[in-house]
Amino acid sequence: MKSFLIVLLFSSFSYSAGGDLNCGSIECDDFSANTYDLASLQSGLTTYMNNCYGCHSLKYSRYNRIAKDLKIPLEIYQENLIFDGSKPGELMNISLNEKDAIEWIGAKPPDLTLEARIRKPAWIYTYLRKYYPDSSRPYGVNNEVYQNVSMPNVLEDMQANLSVAEFDKVIYDLTNFLVYVADPSANTRKRIGVYVLLFLLLFTSFAYLTYREFKKELK
Amino acid sequence: MAANEKKSGVVNWFDTRFPITDLLERHLSKYPAPTNLNFWYLFGFLMIVVLAMQILTGLWLMMNYTNTAEEAFSSVEYIMRDVEYGWLLRYMHAAGASAFFALIYLHMFRGMMYGSYRKPRELIWVGGWFTYVLLCAEGFTGYVLPWGQMSFWAAQVIISLLGSIPIVGEDLATWIRGDYLISGITLSRLFAFHVVLLPIMIIAVVFFHILALHEIGSNNPDGIDIKKHVDKDGVPLDSKPFYPYDITHDIYALGVFLIIFCSVVFFFPEGGGYVLEYVNFEPANPLSTPAHIVPSWYFTPFYAMLRAVDFALFGFTAKFLGFVTMAAGIAIFAALPWLDRSPVKSIRYKGILSKSFLAGFVISFFVLGYLGAVPPSDLKNLLAKVFTVVYFSYFLLMPIYTRIEKCKPVPERAPGY
Repeated sequence: MKSFLIVLLFSSFSYSAGGDLNCGSIECDDFSANTYDLASLQSGLTTYMNNCYGCHSLKYSRYNRIAKDLKIPLEIYQENLIFDGSKPGELMNISLNEKDAIEWIGAKPPDLTLEARIRKPAWIYTYLRKYYPDSSRPYGVNNEVYQNVSMPNVLEDMQANLSVAEFDKVIYDLTNFLVYVADPSANTRKRIGVYVLLFLLLFTSFAYLTYREFKKELK
Repeated sequence: MAANEKKSGVVNWFDTRFPITDLLERHLSKYPAPTNLNFWYLFGFLMIVVLAMQILTGLWLMMNYTNTAEEAFSSVEYIMRDVEYGWLLRYMHAAGASAFFALIYLHMFRGMMYGSYRKPRELIWVGGWFTYVLLCAEGFTGYVLPWGQMSFWAAQVIISLLGSIPIVGEDLATWIRGDYLISGITLSRLFAFHVVLLPIMIIAVVFFHILALHEIGSNNPDGIDIKKHVDKDGVPLDSKPFYPYDITHDIYALGVFLIIFCSVVFFFPEGGGYVLEYVNFEPANPLSTPAHIVPSWYFTPFYAMLRAVDFALFGFTAKFLGFVTMAAGIAIFAALPWLDRSPVKSIRYKGILSKSFLAGFVISFFVLGYLGAVPPSDLKNLLAKVFTVVYFSYFLLMPIYTRIEKCKPVPERAPGY
């Protein structure tokens, strides 16, 4: 009977929520985030700040929070990754405003702080690697995952100079970073969660023994 | 009372001014609970714990939340990132809402199985039903507050339903919104309902529910009246005091519940998109409608009923009839005490018809819950219609099938523990 209760409690979560299951017209490539891999997150952050941050803000995050979580000394971080003289405690806003963006690119580049929670990380990972030449588009490129996307293939030069495996790693790190920045407390949460569950298992064991003792009295 | 001699001076001082010992004994320590209660009788206790948790986490969230259309979304991310343990408060509150509904559905189903709504517990049942209605309102208003895409569009869909009411509908919807469309004005009034009006009402009705229960006493899985056989002090023979026998059972159950709850909070805080919807991580945008608008999982059975009615009738629009069907699906629970004409309370002694209709109800609730969560299609729409009929037949045919079926005899005393 108890297992029935647990099944009932979880059955409400079991069927899949309505998000995109595949990547546009193709299947997503496998992606498994590892937010404990600091080197990967640091590399992703560097790629992001140098190639994406001009148009895509991270406006719910603060510079120094990322520096702290990714264990980057603040001076090095300030020198290399803050370009506009912002203070380390500020939110990561960019200077590109909506009006200019629409005039220049035709659409406002979205803020990407929560992108990995809105879309699946596998979608981002696949999307960034699936640009192809298409002369009918303003920038000469199109995307298999996101048809007629407004964004040019910003990493085109990098892609041309790197091997497929090397480029995949760059995109893996970038996606990994976006997964981290969408929920920066995840590592802390899981670490605390282990202790919470261990405590609860101990507590419940003793609660069960107490219950069993009193139950005997009733017989 | 012999126990008086053992009381300390402080307790005595209070007792002569306020019946503290009497209250605690009547409602807690000596409350006589039937000996044959099973695990279905845990969910009420667990809900009190969840209610307390929601009030506490809600209080701290409110300290950091901003109830304006401009700031609401970013203030939630501020809580998630900058407030100490803000992520814990938010995940607990969101998972707490889902847990509350899971528990209340189990609690209600228990009442339906064992006939806990039957005389003399009609008011307990109606009070509990009213708590559920308030909880739906609390869940809905709370869902709007993060001001994400789904917050905005779910509010848009639900409030626009009022607009389908003939003659007064549009004015009523505008009055509720405080604007011609969902706006910051709507947000701040739903916030006021969510943190002040509804919690006060929920606490008041829960208080009434528990007070009435303790006055009349708990039903039990066999639906027998344990007050028929009492000892010389008037305590039912088939009962045990709440302390220590039930409290130890409940604390053990609380441990099991917290293991499940904390597994969600710490390891699956999005609950697969059912505790926190993926689309809701995008700020509300009145100019862009999400491809697929769904309510929270705990409303999906009723949402499926709303969509199942896709035909106009008697001069009423399909939207209005769907709205009425959905509201009736929630309201009809309150009528149960007067629909059930069976000579016995519990499903254990009812006949095959009651058992079949209850099974039909459970299946229809789950199927409708699934259908309300997925995009519609012709086949799914047909299924939704069929299961809406199955759902309502449990209630509407109850006066007939409970009277004509053959029931088993109910024992005088509770079966062995």
